[in-house]
Amino acid sequence: MKVTFPHLGTMHIFCKAIAETAQIPYVVPPETSRKTLTLGVLHSNESICLPFKIILGNFIEALQMGADTIVMVGSGPPCRLGLYDLVQKAILEDMGLHYRWLTIPPRLTLQAIWKNYKETKELKKELSWKNILLFPYGLRMGWKKMMACEALEKLAMKVRPREVKKGETQKHLKKALSGVDEARTLRTLNDALQKGKAILQMTGQDFSRIPLKIAIVGELYTVMDPHINRGVEQKLGELGAEVTRTSWFSTHILRSLRKNKADQNSERIRFFEASKAYLGYDVGAECNLSIGEAIVRSKEGYDGVVHLMPFACMPETTASGILTRVGKDWDIPILTLILDEQEIEGRIQTLLEAFVEMLQWKRKAA
Amino acid sequence: MGALQVLIMGNYLGIDVGSITTKMVVINEGDEVLAEVYLRNNGRPLEAIQQGLESISSRLDGETSIDGAATTGSARHLAAYLVGADLVKNEITAHSIAVIDLFPEVKTVFEIGGQDSKVILLRAGVVVDFAMNTVCAAGTGSFLDQQAARLGISIEEFGTLALKAKHPVRVAGRCTVFAETDMIHKQQIGHSIEDIVGGLCDSLVKNYLNNVCRGKEILSPIVFQGGVAANQGIRKALEKELETPLIVPEHFGLMGAMGAAKLVKRVKPFRTQFKGFELSRKSCLTRGFECSECENQCEVVELLVDREVVACWGDLCEKYRKSSSVVSQ
Repeated sequence: MKVTFPHLGTMHIFCKAIAETAQIPYVVPPETSRKTLTLGVLHSNESICLPFKIILGNFIEALQMGADTIVMVGSGPPCRLGLYDLVQKAILEDMGLHYRWLTIPPRLTLQAIWKNYKETKELKKELSWKNILLFPYGLRMGWKKMMACEALEKLAMKVRPREVKKGETQKHLKKALSGVDEARTLRTLNDALQKGKAILQMTGQDFSRIPLKIAIVGELYTVMDPHINRGVEQKLGELGAEVTRTSWFSTHILRSLRKNKADQNSERIRFFEASKAYLGYDVGAECNLSIGEAIVRSKEGYDGVVHLMPFACMPETTASGILTRVGKDWDIPILTLILDEQEIEGRIQTLLEAFVEMLQWKRKAA
Repeated sequence: MGALQVLIMGNYLGIDVGSITTKMVVINEGDEVLAEVYLRNNGRPLEAIQQGLESISSRLDGETSIDGAATTGSARHLAAYLVGADLVKNEITAHSIAVIDLFPEVKTVFEIGGQDSKVILLRAGVVVDFAMNTVCAAGTGSFLDQQAARLGISIEEFGTLALKAKHPVRVAGRCTVFAETDMIHKQQIGHSIEDIVGGLCDSLVKNYLNNVCRGKEILSPIVFQGGVAANQGIRKALEKELETPLIVPEHFGLMGAMGAAKLVKRVKPFRTQFKGFELSRKSCLTRGFECSECENQCEVVELLVDREVVACWGDLCEKYRKSSSVVSQ
């Protein structure tokens, strides 16, 4: 058995950690590249959204490398993510690739357990007692690595707008993350995290700068994966803006476990409440939260909001329409970027540069 | 003071390399246009920049020196590497600066170029919002070009022809493919060319207002600029739809280049990076190759001037970029 998982931000680091610690063989798909996208586009239905195409590409590459078990998250309607696992399964089968599929349910319900019942029964035969006994420790390791990655990424978001040499933070972040990736025990992981933080702090910074504050909202794949959004977070940071986002693995996992309502989720509940002025019910996916967050950020004195969505994404198309109104009502500039497979990196750069300049003028005028 | 002013009197070059055309302008300290160039790229921006440099230098008097150069437009980085720019600026900011200086009271800017259409909202001389077409290029200059060619008329005639329309036909403006199908259908059932061209202008304007300007507060005075502002038909259709006259600046096609020149004038570089007009006589070419070091298979581009690599880009890992000069933002 060889497990694989799609790329999504730093997800491969902690998925790998779980498998490694539980001593389950795994394959990390090659880093998302043009080849991945080409493969994904070739085999997917034409009008599907960008994340679907890229994830499919990751799976094809991983299966070609010898993986035989795919672990994928699922969700419910109305977002197409709810159909990802079903449609991708059908496509990969049509391609003649052989594998087993495990869906991690968005919510732990009886239905979800039923959905995976057959696969888990099969898996049980292949997993040794050692694997099963080590699995809880693997989960703990994975969780700790995920939190370490998030801490480093959050720190990088603060350092980047103050960096003196453009691009230095990104280099340091890469180094820090690979340190976390290489850690094998909880103790070395903690050391790697502290060392990573130190590396990031070593970036030459100009503390006299008062960076703009920009929140990134939108569909979670496009917000979390730099390959899908062409590095919007990094680009904004390097243009001198301190970026915030609330889409993290921990947020989404805690939400699906319905845990920590008082802590992490309170922010999301706050966004949801704020969106009620514009939406009478839950549209689904991140739609309500994109709208709510824009309102909350405006109240908190943020300079602007960047809204990311894949082309033809239903919940976020709904959000983008409402956001133009929110921007006016709450006097906060909102830039919506629609992402698809075409080469629009230059265009994104132009729009972000102009957006940041506009916010700087606005701040000066105020 | 007088002596000092003479010392800091300078001339500034603004270059705007768009998808279809290349624009250049030289202004002096008083923002007077000393020379201007507007030419088509024909898909070869490098040659267009060289040609532009040659023709603009022939229009300047021999003693005019350039004290600063700035580039803008979608090929601004290519242009900057080639000519040696002191400033590289995105076209949205460049267009805004040009308008704010000329018409401080303006509240909306429509800019329709070859591949881009933009709307910029200004309030009290400050940009407060903007939008640019992202996934669709319907209604931009290149589509008008294409349709003019299909109908066998020149793009210059296009606008005047549209004005002659008595009963402009309805043309689907949501997508260029739909628009073309619709136009062919209308021509085959016998509508006059004037009415079809007029109908196309109306539908493209509706598309622009509904897509690019969606949800934006369009207040007059409005400036209309970019290459398409030359098109009488589009201009009239916009005025009809918005029920307000538009201001079309004298140098409507050069506004991006003007903005760039004005911005570099503000910076006043101590010593300009500009490599001089002689560049137009040197051999300049780009060379592309696919790097096979990793899965990204980056399409790397090298710029050669007189057989020497002066810049390199396209490599995600920046491995080849070491040798090239860094252009400041």
